Amino acid sequence: MPLPEGPSRARIARYLLGQELRSLLLSPALWLLLAIVSILVGYSFIQAVALYSQASRTALSFPELAAGMNPLDGILVPTFGAYYLGETLLLPFVAIRLIGLDKESGALKLLLQLPLSPLSLCAIKLAAMGLLWLLTLLPAGLVLLFWHKMGGHLHLPETALLFAGHGLYSLVVVTIAMFAAAISDSLPTAAMISLAVTLGSWVLDFAVSGQGGTMALLGSFSLTSMLHRFETGLLATSHVAALLGLALFFFLLTTFWLRPGRTTLSRLGASLVLVGILASLLAGVLQTSSALDLSENRRHSLNPADSRALRHLEGTLTMTIHLDRRDSRLLDLEHGILARLRRAVPHLVVRYAATGATGLFGASEDPKYGLIEYTYEGRHDQSYSNSAEEILPIIYRLAGITVRAEPVPAYPGYPLVADAGPTGWWFYLVIPLLCLAAGLHGMLLNFYQTHR
Amino acid sequence: MTIETGGSRDGELSVRGLSKRFGGSRVLSDITFSVIPGEILGLIGPNGAGKTTLLESITGLCPVESGTVCRHGRELGPEERRRILWYQPDNILPFARQRVATTLSFFRHVHGAATAELDELITGLALDAILAKPLQTLSKGYRRRVLLAIALLSRQPLLMLDEPFDGFDLRQALSVMDLLRRHVARRTMILSIHQLSEAEKICDRFLLLDQGRLLGIGTLETLARQAGLAPDATLEEVFLALT
Repeated sequence: MPLPEGPSRARIARYLLGQELRSLLLSPALWLLLAIVSILVGYSFIQAVALYSQASRTALSFPELAAGMNPLDGILVPTFGAYYLGETLLLPFVAIRLIGLDKESGALKLLLQLPLSPLSLCAIKLAAMGLLWLLTLLPAGLVLLFWHKMGGHLHLPETALLFAGHGLYSLVVVTIAMFAAAISDSLPTAAMISLAVTLGSWVLDFAVSGQGGTMALLGSFSLTSMLHRFETGLLATSHVAALLGLALFFFLLTTFWLRPGRTTLSRLGASLVLVGILASLLAGVLQTSSALDLSENRRHSLNPADSRALRHLEGTLTMTIHLDRRDSRLLDLEHGILARLRRAVPHLVVRYAATGATGLFGASEDPKYGLIEYTYEGRHDQSYSNSAEEILPIIYRLAGITVRAEPVPAYPGYPLVADAGPTGWWFYLVIPLLCLAAGLHGMLLNFYQTHR
Repeated sequence: MTIETGGSRDGELSVRGLSKRFGGSRVLSDITFSVIPGEILGLIGPNGAGKTTLLESITGLCPVESGTVCRHGRELGPEERRRILWYQPDNILPFARQRVATTLSFFRHVHGAATAELDELITGLALDAILAKPLQTLSKGYRRRVLLAIALLSRQPLLMLDEPFDGFDLRQALSVMDLLRRHVARRTMILSIHQLSEAEKICDRFLLLDQGRLLGIGTLETLARQAGLAPDATLEEVFLALT
């Protein structure tokens, strides 16, 4: 009698997802990650609320300072800084197990014989990791809940963007760890490769700060820098595409390297082709990059009337900046009006003029140092100012247009004096103890079953 | 020396011209043979003969330099191989930290085997006592039995087992042979075995492999004739004569 047919691929995928979740939940590394993240998040949250309250006391006395009290910058970003540490330093140790453990135990040889492609197999493993990543958001969820209960304000779009940024960053870290496990023979090697990439990106971010040209462009696409964009409430298609592209790149590389029966040479060839395709796609995305300001205080936006007027400039606006790369005035300019102009003006050319040698106390000997020159359709003007209030009128004068600002509601700011100290029980005790119990449960069960 | 490679029968699996190198050394040299449906083919050779590499090459788990695996005269791609072949490697510990019962249940589900079939295997392989224990804590013999259960739960018509009797005492080996004999009524098997006495007891035909070279394939009688020995020669005598 012939053997009956096996189950459908969808059913196999469902069983495999269950198995992956079981394997991850049995891993002490996951519970350790959650416990450490909880402690770090709790500490960051309590400290952030204390500092925010201190600043709020002054703002409540002087209402004109209230606009500076922004919960995104004051509470959420510092609190999520703890997640950044967890995602960069601890998450790879959990994620490498997805492939590495099966490879070490030999289970992968069995799984690769199931009627599922390596792509499906990796997708199921990634889905399992994604579900458990949601579990690690428990401390973040508590932060939002406690902040809300304290009377704190939350702007949903910028909060959601912050979560999305960390989600994308984690996705990249997980796929890097999966790839590292796919090309390594042991878990420690895979861990070292993953950390080399994530920490390397961190170092890159430091190394290129204050530099221009290609290095600056490279730095703006380091993982850390891209995550930072999400923390400011700016949804830039280029950064979303870059993070998704990187995740897809490492995911596909993993599937190539797990595909059985291929030589190392053919895997390397496929990897190179993939690098080429990704680079072309990213170049295309960067050409058509657009951004959406989701911050409540519209920090990345110009007045709507200014945006409309600048979008209609048909000629090329050239700005020549006589400032050193490390000069704080240039940094203010770059992160302030220049970033907005880059998004609004269709044809903008920014030139960084050589600033010459610096003097005895670091000041430049160049008489033009600090100057910003503007050229539009043969007309020329210059100024030492780096504020939008002075720069925009210069541009309008050169373009021969008059722009009347539209009235927009001012950002009120949300000062709040609160004490987050009592919430420490949850972050320092309840969640870590639950994690410890869950981690120990697996270990004790193992011990009991072994010695029964 | 002429090597019989087996006739061309409908439904069989044919391996043609399989060759593989590891670095500078050749580990498989132009291996060609056919498997007859419903038989147990013993892959016989000393340690390092290339038995595991041959099985992994047939399954498609490791790359080969040249050669094809065909069924009904048609070359099998990776997906078709996954549908037709199941290879159970030696010395693996799948999902080692979880209970044996959970692991077996997972493989029963992904293979689509019936609960009764799993129960029968648990009884047949005497696994009841260790179902609640994690695989990593079991003795070599028990681990081997769990792996055998996983293999026998598979649905693929051709089953390839790497050293299925390693770690068993004589009584256990005979019991497992009996179980395999019952299963072979529904499928074909290739067993990689380095213990000649056990191979002689269970296999219908033998493929002798040494240093990646195919020395001969056929029944014991055929191989004895090929080696110039009496028809009642043992597998050990045949192997020694041919190497």
